[in-house]
Amino acid sequence: METVFYCFIFGMVSSVTMDSGLKSEQLMSGNIAFARGSISAGIGFCTGYPGTPSTEIIETLMLYQSKTNNIIEWAVNEKVALEAAAGASWMGIPSVCVMKSLGLNVASDFLLNLNLSGTGTGGLVIIVCDDPKGHSSSNEQDSRFYAKAANIPLLEPSTPQEAYDVMDFALKLSQDFQIPVLIRSTTRLSHSSALVKTENISSGKWIAHQNLPKGLYNVPHPDLRHLDLLGRIEKIREQFNSFTLNTIPIDWNDIVIISTGVCQKYVEEAQLYIEEAVSLLGLVTTFPLPDKLVRQALEEAKTIIFFEETDSFVEDEFRAIASTQDHTCRIEGKRTNLVPAHGEMNVDVVLESLREFVTLMKQPTMPEGIHDAEKHLISRPLTFCAGCTHRNVFYALSRVRKRLKGNLIVTGDIGCYSLGVFYNDVLESMQAMGSGIGTASGIGQLSKFGLESKVVSVAGDSTFFHACIPALIDARHHNADLTFLILNNATTAMTGFQSHPGSMKIGEMKHMVRIPDIVQSIKPDVFTRIDSTDVSQLTDLIYSTIKESGLKVLLLDGVCRLEEKRRQKQGDASRIIVKSELCRGTDCKICVRDYGCTAITWNKQTEKAEILQYQCVRCGSCISVCPHGAIEEE
Amino acid sequence: MDYPYNIIFAGVGGQGNVIAGRVLAKAVQLEELRPVVGETFGASRRGGSVFTHIRVWDKDASPLVPKGTLNLLIGLEPIESLRASVKFAGSDTIAILSKTPIYSSNVHRGTEHYPDVERIVAIHQKICMKVIAIDTDKILRSIDAFRSLNVLLIGVMAGMRISPLSIDSIRAALINVLGSSEKNLEAFDIGVSQTTQ
Repeated sequence: METVFYCFIFGMVSSVTMDSGLKSEQLMSGNIAFARGSISAGIGFCTGYPGTPSTEIIETLMLYQSKTNNIIEWAVNEKVALEAAAGASWMGIPSVCVMKSLGLNVASDFLLNLNLSGTGTGGLVIIVCDDPKGHSSSNEQDSRFYAKAANIPLLEPSTPQEAYDVMDFALKLSQDFQIPVLIRSTTRLSHSSALVKTENISSGKWIAHQNLPKGLYNVPHPDLRHLDLLGRIEKIREQFNSFTLNTIPIDWNDIVIISTGVCQKYVEEAQLYIEEAVSLLGLVTTFPLPDKLVRQALEEAKTIIFFEETDSFVEDEFRAIASTQDHTCRIEGKRTNLVPAHGEMNVDVVLESLREFVTLMKQPTMPEGIHDAEKHLISRPLTFCAGCTHRNVFYALSRVRKRLKGNLIVTGDIGCYSLGVFYNDVLESMQAMGSGIGTASGIGQLSKFGLESKVVSVAGDSTFFHACIPALIDARHHNADLTFLILNNATTAMTGFQSHPGSMKIGEMKHMVRIPDIVQSIKPDVFTRIDSTDVSQLTDLIYSTIKESGLKVLLLDGVCRLEEKRRQKQGDASRIIVKSELCRGTDCKICVRDYGCTAITWNKQTEKAEILQYQCVRCGSCISVCPHGAIEEE
Repeated sequence: MDYPYNIIFAGVGGQGNVIAGRVLAKAVQLEELRPVVGETFGASRRGGSVFTHIRVWDKDASPLVPKGTLNLLIGLEPIESLRASVKFAGSDTIAILSKTPIYSSNVHRGTEHYPDVERIVAIHQKICMKVIAIDTDKILRSIDAFRSLNVLLIGVMAGMRISPLSIDSIRAALINVLGSSEKNLEAFDIGVSQTTQ
């Protein structure tokens, strides 16, 4: 995400700020529209944890905070975020909680209790941003199933304008039924921009109740709470039948396409290339499914085709209602293998799927020679930034692995350092937030079964706060034999430098929580803190530490070069150069091939390494990487 | 307009790809048309591949350009330009591309070979209707404005008068979005003069 993302956030937001106050239409991304819609709906409290593609919603709300005077903050993780937002809602404050797809997995434990207990009078809207195709995620999960699991209403806007408009409805719905409302976005809505009509921004006034509402527990009769919830969801279904943001066909043709979210736009555009008239039923209210619309579609259409991302969620709900109904309608979609059930949708996928049902008019022509051209492409693999200290840690680990003749297990976590999986395969696992240390805790107990390899787990500072602490306590409690490396750059770098409890830049009224205090309270056998700039010192320390037995924790201080650049820190360090007379050339190549900093290049003419001065951050980390002393300060 | 007019900026993170999209979107607004801007990038740290899709229409298009319907490709980097043309080019595509490569980490390592730039231009010529390849490094060096690559190519596009966006709208949008930086305006005007002279 980083730079690109960062430009994205600030490019977008600054222009919105510039235009704010006008009633004209402004270009904004789905995420900015969600934020602006939240302000317009009157939210007083918003929290979440950063994660692509959701991050800009809270970033945008923070930009307006001085005007709106509400509480906008980053939580330590998504579960705590949802709990905090529910707390505010219980006390009468309208709340929004924002997270990416995988974040809802973290928050789901609380969600599946809160649905039964209710949100009180404030109102609570959850925005979850899914990432079909997993552009910036480790899976492409369809989070809509949580709406069904929790029996809570689900809304899927299709454009930035709908993202803006849906917020007010969602909040009122939550307040009316005292139920959490889930809004589901996808990357393509969150990160695409279109013109949006907005209201002026003004400050709200919120007054908290002095007492909690009654009955914020589901015992002794969770079943009766469930029954009550089922009753509420049926009333909501009734409301959804006449919801104005759903697009209902004026004329019902034989072929009716039902689509949700941004797929509505793909289907609309696909109609440009279709000869026959087909009808589009676009649904924003996707759980509970409006039953009268389902019945009407079954009566009017001969064929119904579904387009949605990513799983067959609406299609399955539709099929369930259709099964209670007499009809002769043919229902097509992911269940009939007509539409792919993985990856992202677009106009091309829609047209390809419709091929056997319609006549395609103007076929976009692909030039000849495209396949030949494709052969000339080279890859652009993801890599650490020039001077990134994460690279130093992984390089050190690759040296240590060599010294241990390969008997080193390295489990990993979620953050920029996840790129360690692409860095000479140093990092061997990357699952959920906090899972690196959790899995290592299990592996670190297997000496009983003959495990002799050393176990290392890697996590970043924001991830440490998010999900590593219980696993670290577990490792201590069970006396797991492992070394836990905390890669500390004091920011949530991956998503664009959001603050966390251990960040350097703590705002007013916030308290900094120090990682060493937490780690030392768990009493590991070894706790050492060092800077990770000097690669040879780092390699020696990691090697000597993992040779000891017990729970060892190394806090490795590093620098995010993008963060540094953002703050326009100008170093006065000397240039780093390669002395070509000392460089061993093709016989060695350790600096470009193994260490691989993007500021070091291979000069084919001279067959020597060279420093790209425009890339180099002059950290000097590569100096000790060269075994021949060819890299030095000028 | 029967169909949307489709533009893609193809480049790598940090080249001002996204902000260039914003400039054109503003120009679309000034023409009283409706812009929709989509971005495709992975977990893009500095150096990742980034495409910005700009749809120009009298109604709201979907956020991604369908295959084969690309009208104008602006390649900020040769191989990324080729990546976009392989994916989206059609019989009407006009490509304006920079001949200045940005090497990937594998090229720096020497494990992958960056194709000859003139070869990349020639391949573009096979699959696009028209190709304008610019030695951007030379031009930007002459005016000491390395960060204005995106604006230079927007200038070239404006000067060619091929899109529904007029030179005046694009220039006004540029000032609106990026401010009236002299370097940017100089780069824009040089871009315009590349094709109008």
